[in-house]
Amino acid sequence: MIPVRYNVRNLRVRWMTTLMTVIGTALVVAASVLTLSLIAGIDHALRISGHELDLIALRKGSTDEISSGLEQKVAREVSSLPGIARDAAGQPLCSVEFVTILTKPRRNNQGTTNIIVRGLEPVGRSLRPDFKITEGRDLNPGLNEAITSRQMAERFENLRLGEKLEINKRDFTVVGYFEASGSSAESEVWTDLKDVTLARATPEVATTVNLRAQDMDARKTLIDALENDKRFLMSAVTEIDYFKEQLSASYALWVIGIIIASFLIVGASFAASNTMFAAVASRSREIGTLRALGFDRRAILISFLLESVILCSLGGVLGCICVLPFSGFSTGTANWQQFSEITFSARLSPLVLSAGILLAVGMGLFGGLLPAIRAVGMNIITALRER
Amino acid sequence: MKTFKYIWRNVTRNWIRSSLTILSVGVSLGLMTLLYGFIASQDEWGKEAKKNNRIVVMNVQGFSGQLPIASVDTVRGMQGVDAAVPYSWYGGKYQNKEMPFAQFATDPNEVFNVWPEFTISEEELKAFKENRQGCVVDRRLLAKWGWKVGDRIPLQGTFYPFDLDLQIVGAFDSPQNTDSIWFSWSYLDEGLKQKNFARTGNSGTIFARVGSAEVMPAVIKAIDDRFESSDSPTRSQTEAAFAQMFVDMLGNVRSYIQSIAIAVVFSLSLVTANSMAMSMRERVTEIAVLKAIGFSRLRVLSMILGESMVVTFIGACIGFLIGCMWLQLLNSAIPQYFPFKPAEMIGPWMLTTFVAAAGIGLVSGLIPALKAAQLSVVDGLRRIG
Repeated sequence: MIPVRYNVRNLRVRWMTTLMTVIGTALVVAASVLTLSLIAGIDHALRISGHELDLIALRKGSTDEISSGLEQKVAREVSSLPGIARDAAGQPLCSVEFVTILTKPRRNNQGTTNIIVRGLEPVGRSLRPDFKITEGRDLNPGLNEAITSRQMAERFENLRLGEKLEINKRDFTVVGYFEASGSSAESEVWTDLKDVTLARATPEVATTVNLRAQDMDARKTLIDALENDKRFLMSAVTEIDYFKEQLSASYALWVIGIIIASFLIVGASFAASNTMFAAVASRSREIGTLRALGFDRRAILISFLLESVILCSLGGVLGCICVLPFSGFSTGTANWQQFSEITFSARLSPLVLSAGILLAVGMGLFGGLLPAIRAVGMNIITALRER
Repeated sequence: MKTFKYIWRNVTRNWIRSSLTILSVGVSLGLMTLLYGFIASQDEWGKEAKKNNRIVVMNVQGFSGQLPIASVDTVRGMQGVDAAVPYSWYGGKYQNKEMPFAQFATDPNEVFNVWPEFTISEEELKAFKENRQGCVVDRRLLAKWGWKVGDRIPLQGTFYPFDLDLQIVGAFDSPQNTDSIWFSWSYLDEGLKQKNFARTGNSGTIFARVGSAEVMPAVIKAIDDRFESSDSPTRSQTEAAFAQMFVDMLGNVRSYIQSIAIAVVFSLSLVTANSMAMSMRERVTEIAVLKAIGFSRLRVLSMILGESMVVTFIGACIGFLIGCMWLQLLNSAIPQYFPFKPAEMIGPWMLTTFVAAAGIGLVSGLIPALKAAQLSVVDGLRRIG
C-alpha cells in the first residue's frame, strides 16, 4: 500500500487548489449540517416532551389540543380513575388544562404568528420534564399572571419579565421564566387555568387532561377507561404518540433540508471530481513510476480514492467547525398541527456532526472514483513518457 | 467570431473538466432556482391577493376567537362592501387522512360574489344553493381524487364534533389551485346545534369584497370601529396581509433559504475559479505563444473571462431547467406548498439565477485571466509542464 503521507504531501504541494476545494466543500457541509441540526432541534423538542407513562386526553375526534373542547367539571372527574400516579403529597398527577392560540407580533417586525397560551394548575408542572423557574417567580393564581420561557420572551413582543400580554382586553403580567428540558412547553405561555378561561369568557371549558399512569399496565387500563366511559366522551393517546404526530412540524424542514443537501452534495462532488482529475493528470509520471516500482493497480486506486476522501473530509471538518457557533441558536417555525409556532434550538449533536463528516466522505468517494479509475487505467510506458 | 471559436475550442478540449464544472454549476444553480421559486411563489400569492379587493375579518384574538354569524350581515351592510360571507375552516378527515384538502363552510348564495374570478355553471350554482348538503369543489381537486358530480364526500370533524356527509353538486374553476371544497355554513351550524356544541353561530372569519382598492383602508377601519366595543372585537386586514400572515408563520425559513443561496454562490465561485486556474496552469506556454505572436493583453483577458462565462452560462441554463422541472414536479405533488407553476410566476427572480451565473463566471475567471494577461512572454515560453 502506498503510504498516506504521499497523499498528504501532494495535497500540501498543490495547496491553492486544495484550499479552494476544501472551502467549497466546507460551505456545502456547513449548510447541510445546519439544516440537519435544526431538524434535530425540533425532533428533540418533541421527543423530550413525551413521557412514556403520560397520557393526553382530548375530546373524542380531536387530534390536537386547539380543536379539543371539554367541560371542566367532567374533565376533573378523570382524576378519580384508578391507576393514576400520585405525587409525594398523594395528589393524583392529573392536570386539567385549557389551551388557546393568540395571534401576536414577533419582535423586530418579523411579522405575526400564533402563540400557545396554556392555562393550568400547579399539578401540571410536575408532568413536564424537569420543570423549573429560572428567573423571576412562579405565577400566583387569580392575579392574571403568566410565565414563559426565555426563548419566547426574546422572540415575541410583550413577553419579557414585567411586560403585559393582552388576552381579551385583560392584561397578563409576565412574572417569571421557566425551563423544561427544551420540551415543547418552552414554546408556550403559561397562566392559571381559571384566569385564562375567565378572560376568554369560557369559564367552564377545558381542552386537555394531561395525566400520568402508575405503570404500563395502568396506562393501558386508563386509555380503555377513557375511551369506553360514556361520561367522558374523550379519547386518550400516549404523549409519545401525540408528539410523534406533531413531528410533521419538521416535515417542511425535512423536505427543504433533504433537497438542499442532495443538490449540494451532488454539485460539490462534481467539483471534488474535477480537482482529482487535475491531480491525476498532472501526476501521470508519478503514477507510472509507482507502478514501475511494483505497486499494483489496487494500491493506486486506493491511494487516489484516499486522497479524495482526505480532501473532502478536511472540508467536512472545517464545515462542522464553522457551524459550531450556531449551536443552541434558537429559532421557530410553524407547527401546522397546533397552528402555532414551535420554538426550538439548533442541536449540533454528535450524530448530526458525524452525518456531516459522512457526507463529506461520501462526496470524496463519489467524486474520486472516476479520477482514480483513470489513474489505474494508465499504461505504464505512456505514463512514464509524459512530461 | 474567431475569438468565440477559440473560446469554444478551449471549453471543449478538456471535456471532462468542462462538463464537471458545468454540471456542478448546473446542479447548484438548479437548487437556487428552486429555492427562489419557492420564495417567489409566496410573493405571488400576496400579489394575487392584491388584485381582488377582498378584506378578511377575524376576531382580534386570532383564529381561536369567534365572530357571531350576525356580524356577516353587519359587514355586508357597511358602505363600500359589495358582498360578504362567513368563511369557516372545518379541517376534517377524509378517508382517515388528516386534512387532505381545505374545507370551508360558507354561504352558497353569496360566495361567488366575493370570489367573482371563480367561475361555475349556472345549474351547478343553483344546485349548490338548493342542496343543503351540497358542496362545490375546485376542478383540479375533482380530477386529483377522481370524483364525479353526485359523489358523496363524508368528512369526519376534528375541530367540530359533527361529521359532514357532503354531496358534490359542482366544480368551480379558479386561477390557481385552491385545493379547497366549499359547503354550506348552515348545514354545519345546524349539526353543531344538535350536538349541543358550545360555540355555535360562529362564522369563523368573514371574507368581504369591496368595490375598489382605494376605499379598502377606510372600510377596514370602519369595520374594526364598528365592532370595537362588542363582545367580539375584530381585526380586519386586506387579503394580501392575511396571506402574509401564513408566510410569516413559516418564520425564518426565508432568510435561511437566502443564506443558503449565498453560500451556494460563494462556493460555486470557488469551484469554477479552481477549474479555470487548473486550465490556465496547463496552458501557460500556449498563452505565452499567443502573446508572442501579437495578441493584446485585453484580448487574452477577455478570451479567458469569456471561457469561464461560457461554462457558467451553460451551467445556468441547465440549472434553470432542473430548477423549473422540480418546481413543476412539486407543484403537482404538493400544491399547498407550491401553488404556482413556474410559468405562472415569471419575474425578476429568474433573472437572478442568470445574473448569479454571469457573476460567478466573471469573478471566478478574473484571477486566472489577470494572471494570464500579466504573464511575461519569456517566462511563459521557458516554462515546462
